[in-house]
Amino acid sequence: MSDLDHDTGIAMPILEVRGVSKSFGGLQALFDISFEVLPATIHAVIGPNGAGKTTLFNAVTGVYVPDAGEIVYDGEAIQGRKPHAIAAKGIMRTFQNVELFGSMSVLENVLVGRHSRMRCGFWGAIGRLPWVRREEREARDRAMELLQFVGLEQVAGQPSTDLPFGWQRFLEIARAMGAEPRLMLLDEPASGLNPVETQRLGDLLLKIRDRGITLLLVEHDMSLTMGISDRILVLHQGRRLAEGTPREVQSNEAVIAAYLGKER
Amino acid sequence: MKFLLFAGAILVGGVLVKNPYHLQLLTFIGIYTLLALGLNMLMGYAGQISLGHAAFFGLGAYTTAVLTVHYGWSPWMSLPVALLLTACVSFLVALPMLKLHGFYLGMGTLGFGMIGYILFRGWARVTGGDSGLVGIPPLSVGSMELTSKTAYYFLVWFCVTVGFIVCERIVGSRMGRALRAIHDSEQAAGAMGVDTSRIKVNVFVLSAVFSALAGFLYAHMVTFISPSSFDFLVSVRMVTMVVIGGMASIWGSLLGASLLTLLPEWLHVFVDYEMMVYGLVLMVVMIFLPQGLTRGLMDAYERSRSRYRNRHANP
Repeated sequence: MSDLDHDTGIAMPILEVRGVSKSFGGLQALFDISFEVLPATIHAVIGPNGAGKTTLFNAVTGVYVPDAGEIVYDGEAIQGRKPHAIAAKGIMRTFQNVELFGSMSVLENVLVGRHSRMRCGFWGAIGRLPWVRREEREARDRAMELLQFVGLEQVAGQPSTDLPFGWQRFLEIARAMGAEPRLMLLDEPASGLNPVETQRLGDLLLKIRDRGITLLLVEHDMSLTMGISDRILVLHQGRRLAEGTPREVQSNEAVIAAYLGKER
Repeated sequence: MKFLLFAGAILVGGVLVKNPYHLQLLTFIGIYTLLALGLNMLMGYAGQISLGHAAFFGLGAYTTAVLTVHYGWSPWMSLPVALLLTACVSFLVALPMLKLHGFYLGMGTLGFGMIGYILFRGWARVTGGDSGLVGIPPLSVGSMELTSKTAYYFLVWFCVTVGFIVCERIVGSRMGRALRAIHDSEQAAGAMGVDTSRIKVNVFVLSAVFSALAGFLYAHMVTFISPSSFDFLVSVRMVTMVVIGGMASIWGSLLGASLLTLLPEWLHVFVDYEMMVYGLVLMVVMIFLPQGLTRGLMDAYERSRSRYRNRHANP
């Protein structure tokens, strides 16, 4: 209910990007980008290399501060906040080149993902009061559930770096889910996956959406993107080229030109 | 369980060892273990190097020395002051310093260590300058003075045990995971909601307080301190203990401190070549056990066990 506007009953966007620009020196990475993401949808961002997709992700997650524009999450402007504060608000992400915590086990990785949902600080750890033990136990149960959800419960105790690459991608998703996010940003989740794993990933992403989690993903694998996305935003050289349903985007002249060249 | 065994070993050591020189050596190992333990939390777990921790060791020692010698305070009054002052100083140092990474952090903390050393030497009116401070009172409990070597041995190792428990609990908690996450990937840690700058500052303060406690125990043990006990080489020695013993290993701190304290004793037989052999041992350890003694020995144990099992599984 909270996602619905009280007067109209229309779903309020969970994320609104309003006129965001970002440049690095002379390079304009993002130019006046605006779009909205509705709750519990899968929203893809596509575009050729250098289109500004990852820059957009980094702006939303607080790694970069936009030069101009607003990023509104759940009715609150979040641009310029620190990444950890944005994560604590319920926006979690995965990385293009899998960034797992290599010295830790699979389970511990998911537990770090749960960091912002736990309270135990240094004093709590030293005192190890009953509420700290309870919190830790609950976190472990929850982390195991998530590992089951992505199909990694058998390897919970293994070092995360021992996993095959495809599994590492699934672990990153489980880790991001550890914080019970409302919005997840996935940066090329299918890159490096074989076709079977990509199929599994698609099913998993739909299952995550059905849990009410909104997904914003950057992806190059078009069969996956077209198959599962509710809406697609196309970026080209830092500008918004088109936006719409997969069908609309596929038939858009400008998109075809940008992807396949004008001669077609 | 581990700690019961540990406490048992301390007890046995204290009862059996009667030679005062050996007792003193064991007590020094305890003090160095405290130093290595604190630094290991910062370096081994959070992955932030410090080449200036001798300054905090010195700050703890000088604070209690100045308060007890010049102002006649009871050592038990000066202990909280020493720890609190060190916590405040380390907090102020950490705020700008921990924005640095890698080699730059090493250089920054090195500079801080130098400043500490120069203050201990130069502020002669308070610290006694090069000639140091003499006549630091020994610790006493009630009316009983802890002058006997055995009593002091037990006091130091009691502190070490408490330190071990504190560190072990932190390591096994949400905070310990956050520290290791920062070590592995600061960017990913931040994206997972870990307030990296704040936790780095906190663990820096924690490790500084451990050093100050070690400094306090050191000052009241030797009853005389001078700047040379807190110079750059001591910082390097602390880092060496952590690296040789094993980064991110609590027991490695004990192993590293023991090795670096005992090795010079064993190497006396080499007379003039002592330091060369010492350096050689450190080189060999690093070449063959790059992850430090603890991890290296454990890996060797695992390997031999699996080899043993394989041989018996398929004869």
